[in-house]
Amino acid sequence: MTKHSIMIIDDEKIVGDMARLSLEQDGYEVETFLDGRSALDRLEVRPFDVVVTDLKMKGVDGLQVLRTVKKRHPKTVVIMITAFANLDVAIEALRDDVHDFFPKPVKLKELKASIERALGKDGGH
Amino acid sequence: MKIEYKVYFSNAVLIGLIVLLGSFALHDLNQILTKFRFTVIADELNASFLAMRLAEKNFILYRDPAVLVGIEGMIDDAADSLDEVKDDITRAVGLENYSRLRAYMDDYALMIGEARRHASVGSQPSEEMQKRLRHAGQRLKEFSESMTSLEQRRVGAIIAKSKSVLLYSVWGIVLFALLFTHLIVANIGLSLRKVVELTQSISKGHYEKIEEKPTSDEMGAVISAINVMASELQRREQEILQSKRLASIGILVAGVAHELNNPLNNISMIAQTYAEVYDHLGRGQRIDFMHRVEEQTERLRVIIKNLLDFSRPKERHRVKNDVNRVVHKTVDLVQNMLDVSNIQLRLKLADNLPAVYIDEHQVQQVLVNISTNAIQAMGDSGELLIASRYLADSGDAEIEIRDTGKGIEPKFLDHIFDPFFTTKEDGGTGLGLWVSYGIIKNHGGNLRVESSVGDGTAFFITLPSYMKIKECSDDETQHHDN
Repeated sequence: MTKHSIMIIDDEKIVGDMARLSLEQDGYEVETFLDGRSALDRLEVRPFDVVVTDLKMKGVDGLQVLRTVKKRHPKTVVIMITAFANLDVAIEALRDDVHDFFPKPVKLKELKASIERALGKDGGH
Repeated sequence: MKIEYKVYFSNAVLIGLIVLLGSFALHDLNQILTKFRFTVIADELNASFLAMRLAEKNFILYRDPAVLVGIEGMIDDAADSLDEVKDDITRAVGLENYSRLRAYMDDYALMIGEARRHASVGSQPSEEMQKRLRHAGQRLKEFSESMTSLEQRRVGAIIAKSKSVLLYSVWGIVLFALLFTHLIVANIGLSLRKVVELTQSISKGHYEKIEEKPTSDEMGAVISAINVMASELQRREQEILQSKRLASIGILVAGVAHELNNPLNNISMIAQTYAEVYDHLGRGQRIDFMHRVEEQTERLRVIIKNLLDFSRPKERHRVKNDVNRVVHKTVDLVQNMLDVSNIQLRLKLADNLPAVYIDEHQVQQVLVNISTNAIQAMGDSGELLIASRYLADSGDAEIEIRDTGKGIEPKFLDHIFDPFFTTKEDGGTGLGLWVSYGIIKNHGGNLRVESSVGDGTAFFITLPSYMKIKECSDDETQHHDN
């Protein structure tokens, strides 16, 4: 079985570091990025099954990442996390077919459950 | 007294003076008219007396009694005219002179009557009678003529007097009008100047009032109204400030939520991951996890400290201080940053600065904040200008910190003093300028910014002089005493 690939984008380095540790433990292939621009550059090179992105970032923000990913790789699932939940942004993200929306602090278990649902797994390994 | 009443009063006085002058002139004109009527009558009488004297001479020469009858007729006519114009004549020359004239005429008539009686019996008038007749005629004519010339002289005198009265009165009225107008205008001008000064100071945001007791006139009412307006404006400004404060609390809360959430999320994720992967971690990795938690709590601590700095300012230790000294101390602190970034420092410090009354530590914090921003905005090279100057208009001291950095986009300029607002790529706390603004405002000063994209940014910090603050606090003490 091929490993599912997950891209994590957050300007907080710890988010990527911790998510990678936890997700790799669960058998995912994880790449982390600190800004939207370099993440999009990477997406030019290869697709990912799941993109978990922070909403508020300098330069290319989470919504731009969402739109670009959906345009380029419609099958890729995008999950958004944000430090400051804002209903307007959430609605906008939903319109752009975001899979899930998590406010910080993120519960890793919930995030993983969401990823699993997105990938069609029934939970548990 | 109200200006309205002053103007009424002055006009009333002027009208009174003009009426008085007019009545004097009217009185003089009436007198002249009376005298003129008299001289007309007197001229007729004089002509008639002259005719009588001529007839009298003819009688003495030709002894014709018919001449005497003619004279009697003329005397009767003159007497009738005199009776007719008795009032006019008495008004002009007085009853005494009129009676004398009448007496002389009666006397003359008596003489003529006597001569006629003598002549009617055919006897010649004696030398004595002739003499008396001539004498009575002469006296009548001379008296009448002297009256006439006397009245003519009087008319001349009245006209001369009228002329000088008119002349002086007109000058008097003009002078009074000028003096009174000057007094009223000077009064209004003085009050208006105060109003102008006050409105100028209000437009600069100083809501002081004209403290002296307002006068009871219209200007007093204007000044009272402006005083009321000033306090009303001040009250409303307070309200606006309050609502701005509430709005900035809203921004603050949003910012706090976001800023606190990131490190909180980090700690949470570290903890969750730590629990998940605990069994696979070596001792060093476990310690590294805990260090990371420690870093995030430190980050939280800094945010909270900055928040507290602004929301609950530390007890200020304000002392009389020299602006340039604080600038030099700041330069010492940022010199290393300047050297590392290869940034030239240019100091342009004025030597005529007023002493200021500041908490040195806090003001230095502001200067360091702004200088650090400037250095970061310039990157690897540039020039940092720190200038101080005396603002003659307000008597304040001003510090300018100008960089040659990338500048701030106009759309951001309105927000740079908002809490948690930052344009820094690496994400500053967004609290530096916000805290700086609070510190300078707490010092009664002002912090403003000018920026143009590509050219750089300049911050201007104004601090009120020590003297000004002392005066204000003295005033306050006095008001409290009152």
